[in-house]
Amino acid sequence: MTESQSEIIPRLRDIVGDNGLLFNPEELLVYECDGYTVEKKVPDVVVFPTSTEQVVAVVRLCNELNVPFIPRGAGTSLAGGTLPIGGGVMITLTRMKRILEVNLRDRYAVVEPGLVNVHLTNHLKETGYHYAPDPSSQGACTIGGNVATNSGGPHTLKYGVTVNHVLGVEAVMPDGSVVQFGGPCEDGPGFDLTGLFVGSEGTFGICTKVWVRLTRNPESYRTLLGVFETVTAATQAISAIIGAGIVPAALEMMDQGIIGALEAAFHFGFPLDAGAVLLIEVDGLEVAVEDEAACIEAMCLQNGAREVRRARDAKERLLLWKCRKQAFGAIGRLSPSYCTQDGVVPRTKLPEILEFITDCGRRHDLKIVNVFHAGDGNIHPILLFDERNEDQVRRVLLASDEILSKCLDLGGSVTGEHGIGVEKISFMDKLFAPEDLAVMKSIRDVFNPDNRCSPGKMLPTAGGCGTESHPHKSHPGRRAAM
Amino acid sequence: MPDSQSVFQPNTQAELAQFVADNAADSRRSLQPIGGGTTPHDVNATDACEVRLDGLNRVIDYPARDMTITVEAGIRIAELNRLLAAENQRLPIDVPQAEQATLGGVIATNWSGSRRFGCGTMRDYVIGISAIDASGQRFSAGGRVVKNVAGYDLCKLLIGSRGTLAIISQVTLKLRPIPEETRIAAFGFHSTEKLDAALARLVTSATRPIAIDVSNEPAMQLLNIQRTIEKAAMPTMLFVGFEGTRHEVDWQLETVANELRPFECPWSQALSKVESEGCWIGLTEFSIRSASSTTIKATIPPSRTCELVRMATLAGMAAQAHAGNGIVIGHLSERASTADQAIAATRPLGDFVRSCGGHLSVLRSPNEWPALDVVADSWAGSLAWTQRLKRQLDPHSLLNPGVMAFGPA
Repeated sequence: MTESQSEIIPRLRDIVGDNGLLFNPEELLVYECDGYTVEKKVPDVVVFPTSTEQVVAVVRLCNELNVPFIPRGAGTSLAGGTLPIGGGVMITLTRMKRILEVNLRDRYAVVEPGLVNVHLTNHLKETGYHYAPDPSSQGACTIGGNVATNSGGPHTLKYGVTVNHVLGVEAVMPDGSVVQFGGPCEDGPGFDLTGLFVGSEGTFGICTKVWVRLTRNPESYRTLLGVFETVTAATQAISAIIGAGIVPAALEMMDQGIIGALEAAFHFGFPLDAGAVLLIEVDGLEVAVEDEAACIEAMCLQNGAREVRRARDAKERLLLWKCRKQAFGAIGRLSPSYCTQDGVVPRTKLPEILEFITDCGRRHDLKIVNVFHAGDGNIHPILLFDERNEDQVRRVLLASDEILSKCLDLGGSVTGEHGIGVEKISFMDKLFAPEDLAVMKSIRDVFNPDNRCSPGKMLPTAGGCGTESHPHKSHPGRRAAM
Repeated sequence: MPDSQSVFQPNTQAELAQFVADNAADSRRSLQPIGGGTTPHDVNATDACEVRLDGLNRVIDYPARDMTITVEAGIRIAELNRLLAAENQRLPIDVPQAEQATLGGVIATNWSGSRRFGCGTMRDYVIGISAIDASGQRFSAGGRVVKNVAGYDLCKLLIGSRGTLAIISQVTLKLRPIPEETRIAAFGFHSTEKLDAALARLVTSATRPIAIDVSNEPAMQLLNIQRTIEKAAMPTMLFVGFEGTRHEVDWQLETVANELRPFECPWSQALSKVESEGCWIGLTEFSIRSASSTTIKATIPPSRTCELVRMATLAGMAAQAHAGNGIVIGHLSERASTADQAIAATRPLGDFVRSCGGHLSVLRSPNEWPALDVVADSWAGSLAWTQRLKRQLDPHSLLNPGVMAFGPA
């Protein structure tokens, strides 16, 4: 037991019990990083509270001993959102995973933050309702983590991101007080603090309960696969579809590089010689989806699609979505390491950014493949490399930086759904003016004045405890998930 | 600024920022941002200077194929709607007095109407915002792309903040296509019990309404759709709105009629396109179509809507509910001519609303009736944080003092 652990551990044990904490070095290793693996830092101790009261007691103790603390869900962040900068106490909420209430008449559910995203939708089976936000990691990520990062997913094109589905949160604030923002009734008094809290990446407090909006299941789906010779033709088809006033439930693009890996992994029958495929889904009433699907099919063909296939049944539809959602897993077939980015551009700039990415790969002698939320303009270029090759790593970081900077030049953003975390902190002052960041900091100071809760996240001027030990404090945002 | 000036109307955002900065450095008068002036809000300061924002009405960028638009906040809603309609797009928020109301005003008050059931509210459409804080500093948050999680979401903070944190000067909106058809199915009910059962049925309807509204009889008078529904002298009406392709809407009108048949509504009709349009205007303008001195808004769990409408009817109110969202707008009877009478009529509703975890606020009441605030909501635990945010962003309480019940600064 280290010196920093010796004082706090017995007192944490009093709060969460023997089975509620980890502090041996080998146990802590699991918590040294999340889905963003390049920056690592072990917390001093990990606690697993089972109630709001326990979270309160832990936070109060941390304040008393001046120890930083950070909430964590399943640790699927791709931006280092749960990296325990400066060590301290990691508050892992995965044991608070109950579904407390489901109210179909009033269209909401109350859940604890550690509930795995897809478990809520599974629980709602047979009710005709579901929880709409569906990040690709939904089989593992928690709803509390989704709240912290305002997660998206393929179906956000039509249904919106997490914040559009959160009615209220209960939170343990950095000072240890418990507050409820919002709740089952809409339009509460005062400011929309629920909306402000969602996406604050754990810097405003620790979410301990969430009121989520439930959404009717679509009656029908049509899932199409448009096969194109080139990425440019595919992006033109996207523009045509959106421009025609059709809002598909999802509109995803996969380029040739990723198609090969997916085919090897899932044997779906993807055309290996295609330049790009579009995975397009429309959903809604049976009387409407057929017309929409026909319209989309026509527009794909008009814009140079070689063929447009349709998922024949629910099984084939699920397989297509499995391919898409597990695409990152298939990348292991292409290279030992990869780095993915989360840039956003206006939809009409997709051809430009994709051309830039191809060119960027050529200039830096890197293979880059693409699988992304095309309908939202949310790109996920995946840069392939071998982390044992230092020069490749250097070129990957350079290329990532250039791609995100280009997104900004095109009027976009550096993160559509993964969050700033530690990965993209260095981009914040490119994205926002000093006065924008000053207002954001002044708001964080209201909730988290000592910056003890999730220090070093979101804002570049973070300061406060822990930054001294940051492994890459001069370039915290340059390294992508490897 | 001259101390006596009571109105300032900037033509540019820079002018606005300079004015606010000068005010903060110098006379520190209270500032009252005003858009179209369609929402009454009484500032608790005698020296307040009105800041009229309707001069800030430029379109900054409208990349229609990206389905976003960036405009200055003083643009009138009707003007915005016309611009968007030319590209077959829209902002699907129902706003009364659209020729007058400004986008910034609608955002600051977080106004919404019947379509909120299917289309959401301002928080679902504002993706970027710029505002001038009380010191005159212009700041921005969000951006111009439809998906973006960089930085704190100050759009959400400013929506509904009623001009108390900063003056909204520029906005980027996410847009939606205009559907081919909008129609309403209307149903008359003799009792709120039957209506309640019908509303429960809609929870699992095969259709996907975009609006579920309920009006009591006095409200029907104000909707001005008597001619359309002349045969329906029903105590309560249910309006179910649908949008989509003609084919899709026709199917839903027929399906919902079949689904609600067992609930014994003595009158039902699928309104024609023209009738639906008229009805929609009535529903949208309801909140301002009354000579009543006092208008309240209650938010409750949707399942309690019928009960609240029944109570409002007993209290003599004209009541309209967005039943799918649990929101009831009520105009007090014109007979309630004193504050005491208004309080007596409203208090039972306030008690009921609070008992089911909801909120009741007074949208409009005579200036000389401050006592009416007693029926308004007592804030939940978030009040302390709200006060701290206000103090942080507007330490001298210059922006719309008294508009939100912040308590002692």
